[in-house]
Amino acid sequence: MIEELRKLQRDALAAIREARDAADLERIRVRYLGRREGRLSGLLRGLGRLSAQERPAAGAAANRAKRSLGDALKGRLAELAAAEPRREPDLDLTLPPRRKWRGTIHPVSQAVDDIWTIFRGLGFTRARGPEVDTEWYNFVALNTPLDHPAADEQDTLYLAPGLLLRSHTSPVQIRTMEKYPPPIRIIAPGMVYRRDTYDATHTPAFAQIEGLVVDEGVTFVDFKATLAEFARRFWGPGTQVRFRPSFFPFTEPSAEVDVKRVIVREDGSEEETDWIEIMGAGMVDPAVLDNVGYDSERYTGWAFGMGPARVALLRHGVRDLRLFYENDMRFLGQFT
Amino acid sequence: MKVSYRWLRDVAPGIGLTADEATARLALRGAPVEEVDDLSEGLRDIVIGQVLEARPHPNADRLTLCRVMGPDGEVPVVCGAPDVRSGSYYPFAPVGAVLPGGFKIGKRKIRGEFSQGMLCSERELELGEDHAGIMLLEGEFDPGAPFAKAAGLDDFRFDVEVTPNRGDLLSHVGIARELHPRGQDGIVLPAFPRTGGNGTGGSGAGAGGHAETAGRAGASFIRGGPEAGSAGVRIHIEDPELCPRYLGAVIRGVTVGPSPGWLADRLRAAGARPINNVVDATNYVMLELGQPLHAFDLDRLADRTIVVGRARPGESLVTLDGEARAVTPEMLMIRDARDPVAIAGVMGGRDSEVSDATADILLECALFEPKQVRATRRALRMSTDASYRFERGVDPTAMETAALRAVELILAAAGGSLDGEVIDACPVPWDAPVVALRPSRVKHLLGVEFTPDKIISLLAPLGYSVATQGDDRIEFVVPGHRSYDTLREVDLIEEVARTHGYDVFPSALSPFRPGTVPDDPLFQLEDRLRARLAGDGISEAQTPALGPAGHGDVPLLNPMSADESCLRRDRLPGLLTHLERNMSRGVRDVRLFELGTAFAPGGDSVPAESARVAVVLHGRREPMQWGGSDRRFDVYDIARVMELIAEEAWPGGAVVPVQGGAAGAEPDGGAAPSTAEASGLAADAFVAGRFFEVVNAAGGVVGRGGEIRPAAIDLPPWAGTVVGTEIELPASPDPRAAVTACELPDQPASQRDVAFLVRGEVAAGEVLRAARAGGGHLLEEAGLFDLYTGDDLPPGTRSVAIRLRFRARGRTLTDKEVDRACRRVLKKVKEATGVEPRS
Repeated sequence: MIEELRKLQRDALAAIREARDAADLERIRVRYLGRREGRLSGLLRGLGRLSAQERPAAGAAANRAKRSLGDALKGRLAELAAAEPRREPDLDLTLPPRRKWRGTIHPVSQAVDDIWTIFRGLGFTRARGPEVDTEWYNFVALNTPLDHPAADEQDTLYLAPGLLLRSHTSPVQIRTMEKYPPPIRIIAPGMVYRRDTYDATHTPAFAQIEGLVVDEGVTFVDFKATLAEFARRFWGPGTQVRFRPSFFPFTEPSAEVDVKRVIVREDGSEEETDWIEIMGAGMVDPAVLDNVGYDSERYTGWAFGMGPARVALLRHGVRDLRLFYENDMRFLGQFT
Repeated sequence: MKVSYRWLRDVAPGIGLTADEATARLALRGAPVEEVDDLSEGLRDIVIGQVLEARPHPNADRLTLCRVMGPDGEVPVVCGAPDVRSGSYYPFAPVGAVLPGGFKIGKRKIRGEFSQGMLCSERELELGEDHAGIMLLEGEFDPGAPFAKAAGLDDFRFDVEVTPNRGDLLSHVGIARELHPRGQDGIVLPAFPRTGGNGTGGSGAGAGGHAETAGRAGASFIRGGPEAGSAGVRIHIEDPELCPRYLGAVIRGVTVGPSPGWLADRLRAAGARPINNVVDATNYVMLELGQPLHAFDLDRLADRTIVVGRARPGESLVTLDGEARAVTPEMLMIRDARDPVAIAGVMGGRDSEVSDATADILLECALFEPKQVRATRRALRMSTDASYRFERGVDPTAMETAALRAVELILAAAGGSLDGEVIDACPVPWDAPVVALRPSRVKHLLGVEFTPDKIISLLAPLGYSVATQGDDRIEFVVPGHRSYDTLREVDLIEEVARTHGYDVFPSALSPFRPGTVPDDPLFQLEDRLRARLAGDGISEAQTPALGPAGHGDVPLLNPMSADESCLRRDRLPGLLTHLERNMSRGVRDVRLFELGTAFAPGGDSVPAESARVAVVLHGRREPMQWGGSDRRFDVYDIARVMELIAEEAWPGGAVVPVQGGAAGAEPDGGAAPSTAEASGLAADAFVAGRFFEVVNAAGGVVGRGGEIRPAAIDLPPWAGTVVGTEIELPASPDPRAAVTACELPDQPASQRDVAFLVRGEVAAGEVLRAARAGGGHLLEEAGLFDLYTGDDLPPGTRSVAIRLRFRARGRTLTDKEVDRACRRVLKKVKEATGVEPRS
């Protein structure tokens, strides 16, 4: 038995050495190792006739032979593959890859998303409010009496007396504080509406993002620090941030926030931009906190509002805001 | 607010800033400069020229031949003006100079004489209308020196953005206060130049005096209550709430005419148009001090009486701009004994306007209640320099200064003399507000400790003075110019922060507590939809929620245009117009989606808002490419997109075909929630028999989609099929439920393909559904993999091929078991649909 095995192994190894190609090898494999006709399989079937003393040694030898033949087949196959001269590829790999349509997310949505990602990292959640709202939420509760010139700043679209399309996302401040107790730490993206004609920098409907933080011990220092942190994360680490006094009826002190960016040109040189206004902000006016029943002696806060479309405009070097709302596939397709 | 930088420095001589520094400082004080105009920009090439000799041109009667000393020595100049004086100085444009209008001076030969440069008129330099003669400069100059500087025209005009709370910045003095290191204390009103100007002669006593010394003009006040009078003029305030104070001065013997050059230049530098010396004087003082003033022609006031009171029903008035304005009893008027002569605080009347014939004037310097002025000018749909200032609050403590300064300037510019005393009808005495501040609260809000002394030193330059000071309490007297804005402690804290400088505060992040507001689940759903739809090759669009009247049920009260006159009931029609726009630009493959709000009339007259997603697909299903297909999007593509959306937005929901029937037909079962029906969901947008509905787990219709009716979209006939969908999103989506994972099978499956011969009236989907039902627990999956029609089939039939995959847990199925299961499938299909397998 062992002898037969040795001979079989010798024959098989010789045949493997002489094999010319993969087909030869497959034939050899079937001849020796094939389940039904294979000679090794035939020998193994004879194991049963051996005595109990002979059987283990013969079985082990048969397995060794099987392994060695398997290895030899694999090795020769690899040899053949390596030795085989490189054939001309039968695929023209210069053909363009198979493509599917590519969809893009609107550049303004992308800006909102990137802004949200940063504020999420700073512990904020998102809140939402209705687009149709009342004068109370849009103006009065925000410390903006209707007979004050500040109410003119945003020429408002009305549905009925007292009922309007919100002219900013700030009503969400009121609605959120009415519903939830402090601490508040939210941003509120959404559409707002103004009686503006279409031009390069205005559209009657546009996106805005509100931010609101209210808690005990929140100060002007936190306000500056958090927004400066946001600005640097959004516009890049070299960004300078400037806070300028301004006026919004619902914040006091109020500020405009400007950034000065460093733009790296194609040749590697760096260029500083001018100061660019990116948001209006300020400490929440105590009257606003009083209007929602918060204790303004105990709680302080800060808020901001910014326009993601303007952000997108600056980011992508778009000269005319209207391009964002024409929804030309060739324009949208650029914002992969 | 447009201001002249020279003017600012004139009223606050201590401002030691360049124009650039001044704009930077104003930005940090809350008054950013939007634009800076270099007023001498066009005059850069113009120099001082001294005419050394002027003699008639030898070959032309009307020309003068001059020798002019300029920057390059003596040159010959031919001049068209008749009265060139030897020894005098003129603006001179040498060869190579460019005039403000863009004309370049060259060396020319005029009637045989060389001319190397040009002596300029006001008009050529765009300094005025006068082009009759060249511009004679009074005084001694260096020939060749820059003209703009020598003539005092090197100025900058700042356009300052003034926020609505800062009425105090609507004057040169107000802005100078922010620029001068000592603030209010640095303000010194300069004397007016003594030039008479245009023949008025400046005969009035006191011309050129100082504001503080205006008393030298002999001015004193006669104080009265609501009624007061002097010099034959009577002033009566009927409504002291709306007009707390009215000063009137009678000036007799003025000569109305053009203003002297310096005054006209000043106004122009500040962006105002000179009119005549009297009106210009009032405008000058308004721009300088912020107090609007008005001059009446005294002879045109009936009974020489001023009554400040409400309009009477049915009255009207022609204002200075020539408009006839109907006024109402809510409006405050300035009246004479008979009629309204001005709309208080807004605009004067044309009939009592100062004209060339005017000899005597009544100068008005009054205070009007801001809300009253605002309501009036809004009702009249107008806004003037005066109303703009009154609305934002005019300094009640600067009125006397303004009145005296205006008298002084009128006398200087238009002659005449003050008759009697300045009438002071002052029914409501001014009480300066006192506001208390706790230094502890300053720290509480600003996060930085400020000592009482520091606070006081920050506020003093703004005009705040300390009334009393106690433990953690300082009471400040608010200056008149800030009395409209500083009413509360927090207003004072803002002043502290502003004058300290926002940039001086540290910027240090502190730990924070998480908020109580959960992240809105609808935003999360929208994020997922955006990512999946974009991943599916569809691009996100943004369209306005406003549309034409037919597109919505919620109209706007004050629309901008008919195209945007109501709130959209659905988003799909708006998206379709953007498909049209793409097509009209030659973009033929369009895949757009949008997330937006739709509006329906709601209870309590507040519209109901619903979040929507809309999609349109048109053109080829894949980009043009080798080995690709030219197949175009059809209803089965939109059905798939609808499934994708339903999977995210309506777990447990389904996309079901609406077979046959009318477009927008009631779904079977009629369980549609009223919101979906009322809000339309683009119900009439689709071709009958070619659309689907999204049904949520509760059986309500929450969306529709399919082939767009050609009538619903404006495309050329060759454009072909457009498919789209509109689906409502839940207002508050449930958080995504965690999926319980199934273990993978450990046994091989058995597969059988069956082709059914399906008659036309039987739906393939029914066959598939019956197959699934009949397969029992061994049927793992049944998929429709081929649909065939051909001549070899009986007429009106299709072959529907279904692949059945059977598998059992824990054991290998025998052929017998699989055959049995297959027979059950066939039986069920036969029972349910009458369909048999193809033999």
